Amino acid sequence: MALKDYWQRTTALDRVIIVVMLALCGFLAVIVGMKKPGKTLYVNQGERVTYKAEMMTDQRVDLPGPLGVTVLEIKDGQARILSSPCPFKVCIGMGAIRHAGEIIACVPNRLLIEISGENDPNQERNYDLLSR
Amino acid sequence: MTSSAVDPIRLARERRRIFLALFTALAIALHTIEFLLPSPTPWFRLGLANIFAVLALFLYDGRAAWSVNLIRIVVSSLFLGTFISPRFFLALSGGVLATAVMTAARGIAGERIGPVGVSVLGGVGHALGQFGCAWLVLVRHDGLWYLLPPFLLMAIIAGMINGFVADYLLTTLRQHPAFRAKNSESAVANNENAL
Amino acid sequence: MTRSVVSLLIVILLFCVSIVFLREEAGPLVRTRLLMGTVVEIRILDEDAADFDEAVSAAFSAMAGVEAMMSPHLSDSEISRLSAAEKRLSVSAETREVIQRSLDISAASQGAFDISIGQLIHLWGFAEGEPQRPERKLIEETLAETGPDALAVSGTEIIKRSSDIAVDLGGVAKGFAIDRAIGVLAAAGVRHASVNAGGDMRLLGDRGGGVKWRIGIQHPRRPQQILARLDLADVAVVTSGDYERYFEEEGVRYHHILDPRSGYPADACQAVTVVAVDALTADALATAVFVLGTERGLALLNSSGVEGMIVDQNGQVEMTSGLKEIISWP
Repeated sequence: MALKDYWQRTTALDRVIIVVMLALCGFLAVIVGMKKPGKTLYVNQGERVTYKAEMMTDQRVDLPGPLGVTVLEIKDGQARILSSPCPFKVCIGMGAIRHAGEIIACVPNRLLIEISGENDPNQERNYDLLSR
Repeated sequence: MTSSAVDPIRLARERRRIFLALFTALAIALHTIEFLLPSPTPWFRLGLANIFAVLALFLYDGRAAWSVNLIRIVVSSLFLGTFISPRFFLALSGGVLATAVMTAARGIAGERIGPVGVSVLGGVGHALGQFGCAWLVLVRHDGLWYLLPPFLLMAIIAGMINGFVADYLLTTLRQHPAFRAKNSESAVANNENAL
Repeated sequence: MTRSVVSLLIVILLFCVSIVFLREEAGPLVRTRLLMGTVVEIRILDEDAADFDEAVSAAFSAMAGVEAMMSPHLSDSEISRLSAAEKRLSVSAETREVIQRSLDISAASQGAFDISIGQLIHLWGFAEGEPQRPERKLIEETLAETGPDALAVSGTEIIKRSSDIAVDLGGVAKGFAIDRAIGVLAAAGVRHASVNAGGDMRLLGDRGGGVKWRIGIQHPRRPQQILARLDLADVAVVTSGDYERYFEEEGVRYHHILDPRSGYPADACQAVTVVAVDALTADALATAVFVLGTERGLALLNSSGVEGMIVDQNGQVEMTSGLKEIISWP
């Protein structure tokens, strides 16, 4: 019952299938490896999502609201507000976000910015809620 | 006129039914045991029960394989209490795709494909079917794709192992008179059932 | 042939029908809304969280209702009408309750917490969104009308000592709204939930299985860090900080927590965190203690039977004894 005997009993097609499947597996691994942690940033204005961006692409976005234009910057996997026409700049004070589930909001200018994703709820933070 | 009182066609059909029932029962038992055994992660399983579908496919035909697998999935989910639950549908999707791929491969390639090849395809089909189901219905999340390559690899390896086991079983079973002259018996059985 | 087709169809039908059930599985129910000028998040961790969708909507509605009644920005809210009234106004039971409790805390804090400073807040422009530093003389004139005895509750009415008094419930309305939301959720049978309004929160139960909520306290000077962590259940946590809302004029930072006695932003503390049974109390006391500073603030916390932590203007941290047992440092 040596394994070698059984291997010899496999047909040519069997072996081809194994090789092809392994190759497929490797191919997929490469593709998935190249896909960087694709977290997506969503901008909600009112009830609608008005803008979508990939966290891994550095960019600067102008988000118009009732008060004026809020400028959002995504850089090095972090998103933050650079400037905003609101009076207290609370949104700027919220700092930078990078993890799924985090939120920045400019309430006067009606903007809610959040990073999507469900797979790292609090893995990199050691608390559930922040009191501020 | 045969000398025995038994009609060979009926005999063949009865044998088929009985052995498929046996295979199905064994597949259910294997699946249930495998499920209840501790495992590093809940998803990485050998899928030993598929061996019986492979046996059914090679000893009889595609329809036999389908019935073994489908009944196995439904009944073991009833035993495990997962009937109509996400797990069930994952298993069903996996099982359906696996069986489809296996029977199609055997149908297209015939004798050129052996139990190992079929089993590997079955494993891959199962993995892809489960992933497809998970993606469409459960978790539309990019993170899911990271799991696919290792999962697939496990499926290929498990498929190979199962294939070798199936091969061993086939060579042993085929020595038994009940499974000899397989081709004529199953062809007759098929015609009968098609009516 | 038809037999297998039929069985296949049945399988497919089962498949489709149960996709409906599949959708309901798994995970906490989290909903956010922009309310009361901030992001409000309600999170339900019960096992059957998905069933509480309606309860969550009702909770948000309750909060919106509180805002409609008590917001100074809505001209026909009870509070706005009270501020505009000559001498007295009949108000709803909820508004009365909030005002009465605020007056109690106002007295207990010797005026460090004061809901009659609506006019003063208006002067600073925080409410309108155009903040500016008012002239000293104006501040002093406005202050004359305020104080813990500027308002009184009589029957169903609120009586103002003078017609110029404007009421601002900014230091408590949010807490009251949070308490209301928790009430709605509890009545609906929710056992493990959090209502978080921009950093002011109340917890219903624990996270499930005896696991407490881990509440991080924002570090007042380092935005990306927490100062400490509290492991809590079934309580309200409110933090007042000088870093939340401010504007700068001629290089000086003016934040939004005014000292009702001086008319200027309180400078005794950087941040105060209060842990109390309900959010209204936590909200009011957080403001009061922030104004009072460490020594008198601690006294007020102790006499009120709540726990709290004070970060004074130099960054020095003091806390009530009860907090020492449940706090952990990063």
